[in-house]
Amino acid sequence: MPHGNPRFVHGKILHNTGSGIFYRMEVAVPERIDFVPGQFAMVSGWPGNDPLLPRPLAIFRSGGVRGKAAVEFVYKVVGRGTALLSGLHAGDPIALTLPLGHGFEFPAGDRSWWLVGGGVGFSSVFPAAAALEEERADFEIFLGARTRDQLPPGEWIPGGAVAGRVHLCTDDGTAGFFGTVAAALRDRIDRRKSSGPSRVAILACGPHEMLKAIAEFALPLDIRVQVSLESSMACGFGVCWGCVTAIRDGEKSGYRRICKEGPVFDAREVVW
Amino acid sequence: MQSVTPDLTTRVGNVLLKNPVMSASGTFGYGLEFMPFYDISRLGAVIVKGLSLLPTPGNPPGRIVETPAGMLNAIGLQNIGVERFVNDVAPRLEDAGAVYVANIYGRTIEEYEAVARRLSDLPALAAIEVNASCPNVKEGGIAFGSSPEGLSGLTRRVRAVTGKPLWVKLSPNVSDIGAIARAAEEAGADAVTLINTIVGMAVDPRTRRPMLSNVTGGLSGPAVKPVALRMVWEACKAVKIPVIGIGGIQSPGDALEFLLVGAAAVQVGTANFRNPNACVEIVDGIRDFFVREKIFRLDDYRGKLLLREK
Repeated sequence: MPHGNPRFVHGKILHNTGSGIFYRMEVAVPERIDFVPGQFAMVSGWPGNDPLLPRPLAIFRSGGVRGKAAVEFVYKVVGRGTALLSGLHAGDPIALTLPLGHGFEFPAGDRSWWLVGGGVGFSSVFPAAAALEEERADFEIFLGARTRDQLPPGEWIPGGAVAGRVHLCTDDGTAGFFGTVAAALRDRIDRRKSSGPSRVAILACGPHEMLKAIAEFALPLDIRVQVSLESSMACGFGVCWGCVTAIRDGEKSGYRRICKEGPVFDAREVVW
Repeated sequence: MQSVTPDLTTRVGNVLLKNPVMSASGTFGYGLEFMPFYDISRLGAVIVKGLSLLPTPGNPPGRIVETPAGMLNAIGLQNIGVERFVNDVAPRLEDAGAVYVANIYGRTIEEYEAVARRLSDLPALAAIEVNASCPNVKEGGIAFGSSPEGLSGLTRRVRAVTGKPLWVKLSPNVSDIGAIARAAEEAGADAVTLINTIVGMAVDPRTRRPMLSNVTGGLSGPAVKPVALRMVWEACKAVKIPVIGIGGIQSPGDALEFLLVGAAAVQVGTANFRNPNACVEIVDGIRDFFVREKIFRLDDYRGKLLLREK
């Protein structure tokens, strides 16, 4: 898969519109950005120094050619930075550093991919679904949210029209499976016993507790799990060392940068 | 009309820089990380992340928090150690044509000496910057850097083991910056760099916990600039050796303010996080300003602050 060097570009917002609790923002950029699903951008566009730092957003889609290239993001308002971002309009300038970080890996082999998005975490796994759809690979999607209104619109789901592919889960039972995504995954494993779980690979992004729960039940079953971790970041490209997490390194563990060695890690290496 | 390219060269003691803009230690990695963005040989110098004798793991997560127009950090000096720097990083900085300076720290004076000694083996290394001011590690220099006596002792000992130009990075968390700067000068420093970050704190009112695992951290960014500028101005009056100005610089105008109060050069830190091209944009902006203002040499502008006659 193509993997570009990071660059700092000035873009222009094409649209930035809300849909439920999510915003979808498309930005015109000078040239095409090639990215690996799971990679992200550091984004800033609001005037002034407060907040000072750009915000990390997963790259949702990218396409076009030089002169007509665009990159797309999906985000949720969680604090002042994203609140200011949501107030920007078509035509407003925006600064992007991208593509950043180590994305999902897709080792060859006959397997089923289970893509898991908790909350706005789908924004980093949908690009993986799009890539798998292109490869005609076998994949299913699990989406978790507190309640029905906090699930992404169905038409955003790559390959979502295929029957039985998308599993919705809500904490309050207002849509799909009544319970957590981790519980839904366990349920799905049990129903799949015939072919065994070892051919399944999970790619997940979402709240830390969700990722931890998935790792705890899936790893002992020999299911390969890649998780995309979140953190506040200052730079996003590996120079501030502010976003580290403890990662196993043989018998010991050390702090690795979520922005550089991550955000996607093998769940076996994460010190949960 | 053809414009003459202004002469931006500046001297920090014996070190000749092609322009007065350097990256600040701790905000620029080992320099190599910026090569996708621009040619790092365009900078006056690259100051790499603080090096210790052995690799250092740093503080647990909860290392950064944003504050109004600034940020607090308590990274804890995580670094690869001097040996890997000498073997793996320095040759690549040389290949890139960069003028580079190593920032160092130790838990003890002996460790500072050992790191300085090892770095002195690098012919191309332009200078050693002694971190006598990291607020986040007890042994990160602040123990030495908060009193004139402590700083003098540290500077003298490192001075004795290296022939490299020696820059000493000062803490703002002191009552008399002039006295601290003079102590460094008298102990043999070739230049002083200031300011390091200002000790600060942030708390989450709901969880009742500090935002940083280290409880306190170092404040940087535009929020500290007025304090930094005042301290650089005071240091410039207190010593004869060059003063390198740092603190909240994110635009050419910010850099010019520090040069005007007398800094021989400046370092750009937190601005690199927001805009990876910040350093080179500041170089270009200073040049454009000089062209517009018909200033031909940096030396004709530097230290030319106009004060009202008393």
